[in-house]
Amino acid sequence: MTTKKIISTLMAGAAACSMILTGVGAQGVTEVKADDKVQIRFLNGFTGGDGEYMRKITDGFNESQDKYEIVESQEKDHYLKFKSGEYDLVVIHGDRLKTFADDGMIQDVSSVYEKAGIELTDYLEAAQEIVQIDGTTYAFPLDIHPLVMFYNKQLCPEAPKTYEDIKALNEELQAKDPNTYAMGVPGLGLVEYYYMTLANQNGIELQDGEALKFDTEEFADVLMTFHDMVFTDKVSPSKLGLDGEFKTFVQDEESAGGTQTAIALTGPWYYQAAKEKYGDDLGIAPVPTLGKEKGVYGNAHTIAVPSRVEDEEVLDGIAEFMKYLYTPENLINWADAGQAPTHIATMEAIQKEADKYPLACANYEQFENCKIAPQVYNVGEQLKYLNENVFNMVVSTEDLTKEDLMKELEKATKTAQQVAEGF
Amino acid sequence: MKVSKWKSTIFIAPFLVCFGLFWLAPFVYGIYMSLHKLSLTRGNMGFIGLQNFLDLFNKDSMYSEAFFLGLKNTVIFVLVSVPLLVLISLGLALLVDNLPKKVQGFFRTVFFMSYAVSVTSVSAIFVWLFSGNGGFLNNMLVKMHIISQPVPWLEAQPLALIVLVITTIWWTIGFNMMLFINALNGIDTALYEASSIDGANFWNQFKSIIFPGIKSVFAFVTLTTVIASFNVFGQPQLITKGGPTQTTKSLIMVIQQTIFDGNNLGMGTAMALLMGVVVMVFALLQNFLTREKKELKGEK
Repeated sequence: MTTKKIISTLMAGAAACSMILTGVGAQGVTEVKADDKVQIRFLNGFTGGDGEYMRKITDGFNESQDKYEIVESQEKDHYLKFKSGEYDLVVIHGDRLKTFADDGMIQDVSSVYEKAGIELTDYLEAAQEIVQIDGTTYAFPLDIHPLVMFYNKQLCPEAPKTYEDIKALNEELQAKDPNTYAMGVPGLGLVEYYYMTLANQNGIELQDGEALKFDTEEFADVLMTFHDMVFTDKVSPSKLGLDGEFKTFVQDEESAGGTQTAIALTGPWYYQAAKEKYGDDLGIAPVPTLGKEKGVYGNAHTIAVPSRVEDEEVLDGIAEFMKYLYTPENLINWADAGQAPTHIATMEAIQKEADKYPLACANYEQFENCKIAPQVYNVGEQLKYLNENVFNMVVSTEDLTKEDLMKELEKATKTAQQVAEGF
Repeated sequence: MKVSKWKSTIFIAPFLVCFGLFWLAPFVYGIYMSLHKLSLTRGNMGFIGLQNFLDLFNKDSMYSEAFFLGLKNTVIFVLVSVPLLVLISLGLALLVDNLPKKVQGFFRTVFFMSYAVSVTSVSAIFVWLFSGNGGFLNNMLVKMHIISQPVPWLEAQPLALIVLVITTIWWTIGFNMMLFINALNGIDTALYEASSIDGANFWNQFKSIIFPGIKSVFAFVTLTTVIASFNVFGQPQLITKGGPTQTTKSLIMVIQQTIFDGNNLGMGTAMALLMGVVVMVFALLQNFLTREKKELKGEK
């Protein structure tokens, strides 16, 4: 072997090592300033239709600024990025704030409120409660997105208000076409919104200390209601699977043997798709009362500041962005995305243009009776067994008995307790 | 030619560096993590010895339940998919090998093409095909009056498992087929001619010429397919989301959720190591069975 070859081999090895080490080191490098502007890295999960509206807001802020710049990252797995990356501002769902606060990943933002000249009372009371964990304010409320009802005016000229209305509508539709149902109960997807809405309507509290408790007669009855909706009252087709409530709602009428529904209890983020399908025939209304009284379940978007952000310049920039964001003419862009902001001044501006913002206004009607998930550690994991297993079993097993269900609910409770004790 | 020790060391140094960085270090670090109470968000909360492993064998622990559910689902998937993935690809290879030379290249490319498609696209196609309500297959079957009601392909078992197996076969069959074609090309054609003169039919040829000729590749394909099937993730994650009622939730999905949803990095790595042991046992078992056959035949 010639010396030349040995040198080449060594150089290639050195180049490979330097590439590897550069990659490893890059994670720890923080670049805060570029072009004399303080950069604020803003992470969110708005990868759907709403992303462009948030981008409009951040672009507007950047154009208005010569001192700060928002560098926005819209990522599908943004929580994973948050856990492993370095950001200055993060959108967090209301039900996850407690977990991130307990894990020490987000900080008290009272001083940022002060710098921005924003008061907590500038927001709806329900939103204020969401961002406060054990008396500390951890985030800025952005919106609340409860379960909402879309209906096809061709099949259902008036929005049903109660379960009796739904049953009557179903009877009428079934008489015309056995493949048309009043609604669809999904097997996977938004199932948490379904049982939590009915639990809220029946006044059931699932929180038991730091864990959730599901193995109660009342909660078993809630789940059996959905079983009966599918197998006894037959207001929904069975075995609809993932996101079945929306897929059947927008089902093509020409589809051979496929079932269609007149209403969909679903997430507001499906608004654009529903509007595209039905145009002016799309109706929007609050969720009907399926249980004892009005009530709905929802989640919220909030904006939090990671604990690691200590640079005063960055914190000043965040305050400046918040001042810009929480101005009705800027935040109203978020309502254009179909979201319902919880900033009172913006809400008033939206309600003045109710025709332009029908979805936000329909959601505002529900806010009074809206609940989000209990503030317990890692609530998503505590609900997982129920979401992935129990609810699916409830809406796909015709001969399911309450005794069988109780056994599963005991298992779900045991899992929730272990998650709560986890760390 | 005599090569000095330091020169040979320089030659293998790049390999050793890569092996150390990308295999040995992560593996040792994985063992270290599995022995600690390690959270993705809260960091290292201390050494706990074998507690994570003990929890995996404690039937009251939610991690144990999740792990063995994932293992059961994965083993079922392996048992159903591996024979089909190996035998169908072998059949396809034999078919292509018997085609006129002019069209062999075309069909090799066609059958291999699906392997180049990403799992995301493959899953999107199969969700569209097999959707219970309004899916392409159901629409077609209803229109042809073969069924009167849509079949819940993705919402009921064993249909969901069948869909996952079909998807995996469609997606990966080309790779195994190429390996078998290469092995078939290595068989001396004179053997076929001689056996034909002796009156051997296709089955006789397969038994006495083809299979012995490709036996080592067959064992290799089986082994790699078993390992690949144990690592199934994309298809159930994107097509069934682990449902119905968690019956298609694979072991990798369980590990991924333990780490990224449950933040339990220590437990997740313990699960991954245990899964590695299970896969190794399967691989050794297969090796043992192959060796036993050789011994029975008096081969060495």
